[in-house]
Amino acid sequence: MFGKKPLQQLIEELRNDKHITFWHEIEEQEASIVPFPNLMDDRIKQALHKRGIEGIYTHQASSFDAVLKGENIVAVTPTASGKTFCYNLPVIQRHLNRSNSRALYIFPTKALAQDQKSEINEFIDDMEVNINSYTYDGDTPANIRQVVRKAGHIVITNPDMLHSAILPHHTKWISLFENLETIVIDELHTYRGVFGSHVANVIRRLKRICRYYGSNPTFICTSATIANPKELCSELTGERYIKLIDNNGAPKGKKHFVLYNPPIVNKQLNIRKPSTKVVNEIAARFLKEKIQTIVFSRSRVSVEIILSHLQELVKGELNKKSIRGYRGGYLPNQRREIERNLRNGETVGVVSTNALELGVDIGQLQVCVMNGYPGSIASSWQQAGRAGRRKDESIVIMVANSNPLDQYLFQHPEFFFEGSPETARINKDNLIILVDHLKCAAYELPFERGETFDGTEIEEILEYLTEERVLHEQRNKWYWMNDAFPAHNISLRSAAQENVIIIDQSQVEKHRVIGEMDTFSALTLLHDEAIYLHEGTQFQVEYLDWDEKKAYVREVDVEYFTDANLAVQLKVLEIDKEQTYRECVLQYGDMMVTAMATIFKKIKLETFENIGSGQIHLPEQELHTNGIALTFTSEMFLKMEEKTLEQMLMGLSHVLQHVACVRVMCDKNDLHAVPEVKAIHSEKPTVFLYDRYPGGIGLSDSVFKQFNDILNDSEDFIRRCPCEDGCPSCIGIAGVTSPINEKESMKKIVLNAITSVLS
Amino acid sequence: MGLKSKLNRMKGHLQLEKESNAINLNEKDRLVENNPQKSSEEITLEEKWRQLGFFPYAYEDQVSYQKRTFYPFQKEVETEIVNVYDWWQKTEKDHPLSCKGVPLNRLMFFDTETTGLSTGVGNTIFLIGYARMIDNGIEVIQHVLGDPSDEVPFMYGFLEDFHEEDYLVSYNGKSFDWPHVKSRHAFVRNRVPKLPQFGHIDLLHAARRLWKHELPSCRLSIVEKEKLSIFRKNDTPGSMAPLLYFDYIQEKEPDYLAGIIDHNDQDVRSLVSLYVQLSKRLAFMDRKLMKLSPKESIQIGHWFEQLKWIDHAKEHYKMAIESTGNHRDEAYYKLAILLKKEGQINSAMDYFQKCISISSFPKPEVFIEMAKIAEHQLKDFREAYTFSCHALDQIKKKSRLTAKDANQKNGVEKRIERLMNKL
Repeated sequence: MFGKKPLQQLIEELRNDKHITFWHEIEEQEASIVPFPNLMDDRIKQALHKRGIEGIYTHQASSFDAVLKGENIVAVTPTASGKTFCYNLPVIQRHLNRSNSRALYIFPTKALAQDQKSEINEFIDDMEVNINSYTYDGDTPANIRQVVRKAGHIVITNPDMLHSAILPHHTKWISLFENLETIVIDELHTYRGVFGSHVANVIRRLKRICRYYGSNPTFICTSATIANPKELCSELTGERYIKLIDNNGAPKGKKHFVLYNPPIVNKQLNIRKPSTKVVNEIAARFLKEKIQTIVFSRSRVSVEIILSHLQELVKGELNKKSIRGYRGGYLPNQRREIERNLRNGETVGVVSTNALELGVDIGQLQVCVMNGYPGSIASSWQQAGRAGRRKDESIVIMVANSNPLDQYLFQHPEFFFEGSPETARINKDNLIILVDHLKCAAYELPFERGETFDGTEIEEILEYLTEERVLHEQRNKWYWMNDAFPAHNISLRSAAQENVIIIDQSQVEKHRVIGEMDTFSALTLLHDEAIYLHEGTQFQVEYLDWDEKKAYVREVDVEYFTDANLAVQLKVLEIDKEQTYRECVLQYGDMMVTAMATIFKKIKLETFENIGSGQIHLPEQELHTNGIALTFTSEMFLKMEEKTLEQMLMGLSHVLQHVACVRVMCDKNDLHAVPEVKAIHSEKPTVFLYDRYPGGIGLSDSVFKQFNDILNDSEDFIRRCPCEDGCPSCIGIAGVTSPINEKESMKKIVLNAITSVLS
Repeated sequence: MGLKSKLNRMKGHLQLEKESNAINLNEKDRLVENNPQKSSEEITLEEKWRQLGFFPYAYEDQVSYQKRTFYPFQKEVETEIVNVYDWWQKTEKDHPLSCKGVPLNRLMFFDTETTGLSTGVGNTIFLIGYARMIDNGIEVIQHVLGDPSDEVPFMYGFLEDFHEEDYLVSYNGKSFDWPHVKSRHAFVRNRVPKLPQFGHIDLLHAARRLWKHELPSCRLSIVEKEKLSIFRKNDTPGSMAPLLYFDYIQEKEPDYLAGIIDHNDQDVRSLVSLYVQLSKRLAFMDRKLMKLSPKESIQIGHWFEQLKWIDHAKEHYKMAIESTGNHRDEAYYKLAILLKKEGQINSAMDYFQKCISISSFPKPEVFIEMAKIAEHQLKDFREAYTFSCHALDQIKKKSRLTAKDANQKNGVEKRIERLMNKL
């Protein structure tokens, strides 16, 4: 038998571990339940009774009331707080009010859609009313599709399907669009960056079609905790008035949130014990006591490594099925089985990629161990939400990697607990994305002169497309005049359009396409001999056919990654905003980036040692985007010896990039940093940060706005790094000193530079 | 910065739809060359259309263009059509190709030209053409969408001409043309009449049934050449339709569409011939002249068999047997099975025997069928045993066993075991 005692004991034992840098306790919370709303139909009440539910949580009640009043809502609730009732109850109520009422559910992935369908169908069955809910995705058989189109009261789909299968065929969906009352967007926080910007435009198209057929649906969104749920919801749906629902009434048990920084094993280089090993040890402690534990790790490889370790450690004590892996690449049936076994307790431990982060129902576990910072605060909380039952105590342990981001966050636990979580940002008017979706929209319905795209002026773009002979204008209307199907050429999930296709030729008889990448990223990530990570699996690029835009890769198992050097030049085309500091000036505007990949280095995974290099032969690329330029104007820098200046700028850009990525909630690949000793536009030392997507997605703009905070954070981060003269975790280079004065370390020089700007 | 200059600067990042086929300049030149009255600036669009034989069809303040062309019958063609039509009227059972009860002049041989092959809502139908048999000849009627903003008169003109009793005959119309018409109709549904309910014969399905084994593909152009002996001269391929239409829209020069209009005209008339040829094969007309391959006859027989026209099926199987060439064994087998079902055990046995005697590698199922008859009807267990052993031998000769084969083998082995007990 196992119960509360061992867990509490283990928690106490852990308290004494000196590598724990932070311990946070979240107190338990009682449920706050209110009686069923007056407007709720008796049939719904009875179905709830049947499940032993006598009242609903406050946030569920608020959602219900708001939606029935016709308000758009965004419900921000933690994992396992019953958020599905926030939309299912009002949607069902609307159907009971008007039997023709339809609803469209949009989930970011297919798996989530399947889950939701089963859940809502069970509920509908309990009510014994005739509501048809169907999923509509790539797996829906052709003979069912017609039924879904004609008779689906609730159609559950994903943004990609909406974009390429539903909207371009809207004449087959007339009964849906004529009667659409509710649009549900789940996991709102996942719609950010390029993907979010695309989806926001798909929603613009959706609303345009709804208007055409005379419907004006309300939006119900649900989101994990982010700083700006209301703003994101408003941006994504294009609705001005959004009601925020965050009065979570679900009960919570006591929860411990622990940060664990592995011991330093190489003091000079500031290298720590591999987090994977630490994770193994910690998880094993709990699993040996048969306490249900989930381990999150970022890559597929590390999931498999941890899994095999854990299965080894608990060998003989538990059967192999009691500890499972879970990641993309497992078959759906296998995943369902694991989910089921987790719910019924047959499986005690699960090692997962972020695949389990989204709302798949696996019940609640007691312990969550994270191998490294998952990349965003919102993700951290979602993963942490996997541990924590409604009544029992639970613990979340995050184990840091050696990399700068992890170390930075471990220095600043307030980011998790006090500071507002990240801001999710989209830029739906990014010119490239906008033009793409205008083409799709024109394909769906001709544009009339004077018409806007949900408020955005588009006439100039339509005229441009007419000149390019994609549209044809006649009697103040623009018609699609091309034999292409534009939605097929536009992928919501990837950045630029001309993409390099990645072909896995590990199996000679079965080459398969595993992904695609925009050409600009391909320069540094898919050159010959590059190690390309795909969902955690390592592949080596055997041949990059640049003309055909194909990269042939083969699965490998090596302990290094590659890092390519991109010779980048920036031209400032136009300055939109400017801010003057004492020693420098900060500018934001349009930039042209020319990039040429030169060489690549092979870098050992755990230690970041350089173990080899090679040449890259690829043509120069151009990227037109938005960025910021931090230009140093004071004498102090202009007099600096060139080599020192160069290293100082490198160190500074390294820190700024990492800190800025945390601040604006983006991946390191989305926001690039480039130092230039003598920038073309000013002939002065400059650090650039720019959006790595044509046209920009609003990251640099946000960096510009928060630049003071970013500088402060950067200074603090370097100061608090335990290394002496700089290390890969802070300024990116270790042990470098000024060539003039050997006592002056680069770490200090970079610090001085930041201080001089701030003072 | 002006948006347009920004757009132009970012052109490299913007992906414009590439035109799938480069415009065939020769094609364009030829089209213009063939038309001596090359239009001059002063001539109005309507005039230009008139020169191609099209007349404006006005509805409210908009206009589309229509053309009617009459092709008088040659005597033997007319007789053929009448014979075929009469044959269908005398049939008693239902058939996908049947036009029983449909007035001859209500058969509507139908084809459209579109601005793209996708079935999404962004591609338009710009030409609807159909052929009807009226007194002494075939009338081809074509409706052209003069401008994408004129969909109402275009659809209205077509629907006005559409009669409730009309019966569509198309080539792939069930999955392409008609869904497309429905989609376009949805856009103007509040301003034009409803789409009527009507019958629909899709000849592609029939062509596939008969010829999928022998033709490289069942595209209409290939069927025309191989089966109808129609050889087109200077035909503009249908795949050029989108590009030619875009050029027309750009320059408002109907001459660009002359080739596609001819192509469509020929298409709908080919459908008439195709319908006649298919019906003749089904009806056994001119059987001596038709020179059907055994496979064709078997396919027709099989079709009838599925539709429970058993007598017709038998006749076609017999026809396959009487002809020369491969696949005759298959005809024997199918015929034998039919006879067996009817209880004509001896004749069935006869045909099975013949099937074996002419095939170099008799299929195991033939022996299995014979074993079944011997065991259950004739009660000759020794004979049944021998046939079963033959069947097993044949199965064993196969180099690779599929799951189905393995199943069959299993069954035969059980049969042999049972028979051994009875012997």
